[in-house]
Amino acid sequence: MSLVDLAQALWLLVAALGLALSVQYAGLPVLGQGAFVAVGGVGTALLGPGGAGWPLGLAAAAAVVTAGVLGHLVALGASRLEGAYLALATWALAWLVYRTLLAFPDTFGGAQGLVRSSPAHLVSPSLGLDLVLTPAAHVVLAGLTCVTVVLVLRRLDRGPGGLDLAALREGPELAASLGVPVAARRRAVLTATAALGGLSGAGTVVLLGLVAPDDVSPLLSLQLFVAVLVGGATRWWGPVLGVALLTVLPYLADTQRARGVVTALLLVLVLVLRRLLARDRQVAAPVRTRAQEVEVRPLTWQPVLLRATGIGASYDGVRALDDVDLVLRAGRVHALIGPNGSGKSTLLRVLAGDLVPDAGTVEVAGTEQPVRTSPQDRVRAGVVRTPQRTVLLPRSTPVRQVEVGARGGSRPRQAVLRHLLATPSSRTAAARARRTVDAALAATRLEDVSAVDPAALTVGEQRLLQVARAVATGASVLLLDEPAAGMTADERATLRSVLRHLAGNGLAVLLVEHDMRLVNAVAERITVLDAGRVIADGSPTAVRDDPRVQTAYLGAPA
Amino acid sequence: MLLQAVVTGLAGGVVLGLVALGFTLVAGTLRVLHLAHGDVVVAAVFTGILVVLGRTPVATALSPNHAALFALLVLAAGALLSAAVGWLAVRPHLPDRGRDADVLGWVAGLVAAGLLLREVLALLLPQEAYAVPDPLRLDSLLGSDGVLGLPFGGTLAARVPAVLLIGLLVGLLAERVLVRSRFGKALRAVADDPDAAFLCGVPSRRVVSLAFLAAGLLAGIAGLLYTGDPGRSVGVDDGVLLGLGAVAAALLGGLGSLRGALAGGLAVGVLQALAVQVRPQYGELAPLLLLVVLLAVRPAGLRRA
Repeated sequence: MSLVDLAQALWLLVAALGLALSVQYAGLPVLGQGAFVAVGGVGTALLGPGGAGWPLGLAAAAAVVTAGVLGHLVALGASRLEGAYLALATWALAWLVYRTLLAFPDTFGGAQGLVRSSPAHLVSPSLGLDLVLTPAAHVVLAGLTCVTVVLVLRRLDRGPGGLDLAALREGPELAASLGVPVAARRRAVLTATAALGGLSGAGTVVLLGLVAPDDVSPLLSLQLFVAVLVGGATRWWGPVLGVALLTVLPYLADTQRARGVVTALLLVLVLVLRRLLARDRQVAAPVRTRAQEVEVRPLTWQPVLLRATGIGASYDGVRALDDVDLVLRAGRVHALIGPNGSGKSTLLRVLAGDLVPDAGTVEVAGTEQPVRTSPQDRVRAGVVRTPQRTVLLPRSTPVRQVEVGARGGSRPRQAVLRHLLATPSSRTAAARARRTVDAALAATRLEDVSAVDPAALTVGEQRLLQVARAVATGASVLLLDEPAAGMTADERATLRSVLRHLAGNGLAVLLVEHDMRLVNAVAERITVLDAGRVIADGSPTAVRDDPRVQTAYLGAPA
Repeated sequence: MLLQAVVTGLAGGVVLGLVALGFTLVAGTLRVLHLAHGDVVVAAVFTGILVVLGRTPVATALSPNHAALFALLVLAAGALLSAAVGWLAVRPHLPDRGRDADVLGWVAGLVAAGLLLREVLALLLPQEAYAVPDPLRLDSLLGSDGVLGLPFGGTLAARVPAVLLIGLLVGLLAERVLVRSRFGKALRAVADDPDAAFLCGVPSRRVVSLAFLAAGLLAGIAGLLYTGDPGRSVGVDDGVLLGLGAVAAALLGGLGSLRGALAGGLAVGVLQALAVQVRPQYGELAPLLLLVVLLAVRPAGLRRA
């Protein structure tokens, strides 16, 4: 293996490590890294010496920025949808770029590609610099880039950014409900991935003096995708192993087509291995001292924490809510009951900012909320909802899951960057987050199971974990959708005292529940929904004796 | 000139529409974006070519028997390949017993399937692209010389209106069947809630296979209409571009609507034909660009309700 081969492999590794950020760390299926490599390579060739004649460093920098911007633009819309749409968008981009290179031979040199003089000189007259970029210089440059990227990725994974990434990859919908800005994070991740792809392309074209469409074809995109899938989630050595495989690939298969077959077979093999690896994957369990008794407190001290007025909502023309009023007070547990399909969960979605109502307003702690909002914004305003279905981050310990909540609720500016630079403020923030997590775990009686595999939790503990995550966001209003579902009698008793404790600390709790014994034991006020309307609202005894409630539940009297 | 381009575009678009119909069917039922669907279309066509015409086909007209065999082979290969891709590449990654769908898994599975179909065909075939005689002999249906005159000048290959007619009939029929039949209802039940559908006695797994089978059958028909255009040869890599064009069509029609997919196909076909008028190589770039821009700019408006 010559120095040129080594340098080329290292530049390829830069692209693979960049892609790993999207695929391994953020769980995004990105199938177009080859397109970003192409933009970096072709851009450098077109702008630099032999093309538009810009200084080499400037041309490469411009090409890298262009690749990053392109990544951001591609993610612009698709990042708001399910992750799979990013696969579609990037796969289409891979083909668009490849076919564009072939379609304009006058600009891009056709199938032969663009040829530039090699080795290139990095010249700066003002500094009196004339550096010949020999293969050895490339090895050093690309090697340093790889080491830097690996170190940054590893540090990123241990801090607040790692929490965001874990939430993105293991449960994007849950992440959004806890206040993680999913779409913005996906865009940032894809921008970084694309920029590193561009850097890889720029480095390679400077090294070889050549960029041809077939070297940056969709096949390269798929090969890089395979290379990063090899290591599974968040293993930095995965891409290294993958790129090593890609480097020996030409010796196994001599034509482009044969390489395609081998790539496809590797992809199949990786898929099989991935399932096997995922099966016995141990959950990294952080050792944690027992949580001290720390109080959970609401953000604001206001008697009325949430006021919804005249809420109306519909799905596909079917009216789900009609003129619903609801007031949640600090220190109270308020139950929302009603037959199946009466609109309870719909109301929760409206209050949590997950569904835009057709009519009505929502005030949080006296401030009217904008109609078009998002769960993230509502979490920051102080309202959080737990899902009806149990949703866990399957590979994260309870502590880490609660940390995601804490991270979602308080998002200090540039926390990821500060953590990367290890500023003193990032350490204070980390200590504060740890206290929040401890308090939430203590308040939900989960200290003893805080470091176990989430799959080992009982159903009741899983339901309590959802409450703990919501509490950790620091929201003053908790919207709990059937938290007792699947709980044993003992666990229900625990939940009862947890809810009393949370309300006792000044939070407002809205409890959607079918178990009337639990409701009567904890709720001071009950609102009854039927067919999208409030049919009763008052103390438990008043509601129980209301004839309309009895009709709704037991049918019309004979 | 313009009329000619539009009609030719509509005929190309109806093929895209049929492919888009299959894509929509799978996306609507399983929430899976079928990234290998275009490759299934082209692989089905090449199955017919390899069996009936051999590795070095000559573009002479097929005898009626050979034409019928070719058509049957393409339809069967489309259905079977699609079902195999669904079974091997997608099914292991679908939601199952409380486990969420493994998105990375099925994306990787489908790109692997598409790549494998493409590259294995390329290894079997000595050429990159083949001019194939029209198996359906559509040009002999209207006018003996295979060319129709158009008002305001210009001519049209006689197969163009025939392709348009057949494609529209098949597409509309498929749409009606999928909306009205028990199978269609089962599909929608599985789409809404696979677990609930299973509890109600809908055989979810069989429905999944049937969705891929139906999509594959439509892919086979699309493949038959795609081949035989005298102005174009069929290439191994056409599948990806056809597939991505169909995805653009499905998104344009509002992903989830079968009728929308068909209409979207016609729109993309016309766009493609007009782009070719500007510069020939824009023909294949236009749908790709449309898809990338659609996904970047209007994803929310295209999301299925």
